Amino acid sequence: MTSLSRSDTSAPSPRRPFAKRLLDGLSPSRLAVPVFLLSWSFLVLAPLVVIVLFSFLQVKAYRVVYVPTLDTWVSLIDSGRWMTAVRTLRIGLTMTVIELLLAFPFALWLAKGCKSKTFKSVIITLLTIPFFLDASSRIIVWRSILGTNGAINTALMSLGITDSPIDWLLYSEFAVHFGLLGTHFPTMVFPIFMSIALIDDDYIQASQDLGAGPAQTLFNIILPMALPGIVAGIVFTLVPLMAAFVEPQLLGGGFVDLLGNSVNSALQQLKYPTAAALSTVVVALLGLCLVVLILVTRKRHDMASMFMAIRR
Amino acid sequence: MSTMTLTQDRAERAQTKRHSRLGQSTGWITLAKVFGVVALAMIYIPLLWLAVMSFAASPLSGVPFPLTLDNYRQLGGDGRWLPPLWTSVWLSGLVALVCMLIATVVGRSITRMRRPGGVILLTLLPLFVPGLTTGAALFIFLRTILELKLGIWSIFLGQLVWALPFCMLLILVIASRFDLRLLEAAEDLGASPWRRFWDIEMPILRPGIFGAGIFGFLLSFNELPRSLFLRGLETTLPIYNWAMAASQQSQVPIIFSLTTIILAVTLPVMGAFFWVLFVKLDKS
Repeated sequence: MTSLSRSDTSAPSPRRPFAKRLLDGLSPSRLAVPVFLLSWSFLVLAPLVVIVLFSFLQVKAYRVVYVPTLDTWVSLIDSGRWMTAVRTLRIGLTMTVIELLLAFPFALWLAKGCKSKTFKSVIITLLTIPFFLDASSRIIVWRSILGTNGAINTALMSLGITDSPIDWLLYSEFAVHFGLLGTHFPTMVFPIFMSIALIDDDYIQASQDLGAGPAQTLFNIILPMALPGIVAGIVFTLVPLMAAFVEPQLLGGGFVDLLGNSVNSALQQLKYPTAAALSTVVVALLGLCLVVLILVTRKRHDMASMFMAIRR
Repeated sequence: MSTMTLTQDRAERAQTKRHSRLGQSTGWITLAKVFGVVALAMIYIPLLWLAVMSFAASPLSGVPFPLTLDNYRQLGGDGRWLPPLWTSVWLSGLVALVCMLIATVVGRSITRMRRPGGVILLTLLPLFVPGLTTGAALFIFLRTILELKLGIWSIFLGQLVWALPFCMLLILVIASRFDLRLLEAAEDLGASPWRRFWDIEMPILRPGIFGAGIFGFLLSFNELPRSLFLRGLETTLPIYNWAMAASQQSQVPIIFSLTTIILAVTLPVMGAFFWVLFVKLDKS
């Protein structure tokens, strides 16, 4: 209201139509951010707080019983579901390390080694498109490649390399890892690529002029300066990995049960507190990984510079 | 300490200089290229194979022969995929429009704040929470705590939570490059706030806003983990695909041909769009 009257008095031409003066006076920048933050907290923060609290409640006859209980957590531990959490963490971390090892050299080459701009744009386009692809259909195709009568086994047998099909290719942990590899590569490459691309070529040139070998330049110049990007890459790869459910469901064949599948099946069986507890585990494990990551990298960089690297 | 390591380094450098510069670096580049090709193959071979196998008599076997158009005929005869496709199209359009609007209004305000860090962190928070967790959390919050009836509106909210942070990033990147002195100059020349926004800010923000719209549409169009829990009784195309892929083996051929058709339409569009976007961003 105050802003409205103030602009009325200072309006240069009083003959402007009323609707336009109203538009002039409404200052969206003052209103927009608080309103947005309030509704965003309601949509994003509140549900996360609710699931943590909800895991201590019970549902009886489709009604929530608002009496705190540890039953859900006790049954989770008794039924051996904690093994699922360990497996999820193990597969998530393994895949993150694999992606990092694959992505770092590639990102370094893309940012500094690739001279052709056209080629660079093509690769970046190819890496962007997967963000917008439907998950189920591109994962289920692996069945026809990895299955016992799939493309690989058919090829191997017709070439006479094996007599019987290799059965661990599909419906195994190997298949799940395999399926996760392609899906989570771009999220690792992009942040690393951006942080390396930001490094001034002069630093690298200076390092070489001063006589440093490639390994020394890599460890003393490039790695420290790319660290924010590496951290961002790890975060953005680990987050979706901790709740992957399409790949384990379609390629694990029921042998590889991860937290994501457990949440899914708990919700389908209307076990809401169990689903809430499992989701809490996902968030807690992620938080743990993030804290470790921050502690490891705190010496060199704060989180703020990480966001600067993403924002570029 | 540092002087000691420096002298050590210098001694080592003298020894390793020649062969490390010549030998290692080329091997390194080859390795990097191989890694990239392998990873890109892991992304694009399934898409290629999907298109090939959509012409196969039994898509889940390893051999595409004999080639047949049966899957496409079956797709044409079975109309059950049409309503989910239609829902997905208009819902994604709506998500895109709302994303464009919110991201523009809020994004440009954030860049004018003195300390935007906390606000940006809260805005981007959904990127740090797995989709499935967001879906489950929103489901429990809306369905069992607030006891609301889920439907299209809850899918919309779930997809908005996913798409908006990306759109906001895009606007923030462009808006943070905007020179605020331009607005001051316009004000001195007597332009009203609305004119200042429409005639000066808007043309600069426009590529970011269009980008946000396209990002919003594509992200929402393929969103699965959140929609899956928030669907109520509604079905979008990714939910339809997931249901076909996860449960009924006999229905798999349909999603092979359906996805191939959708990819044939969207891949060239996406390719052209990102090409233009990256080339433009590179030049600016």
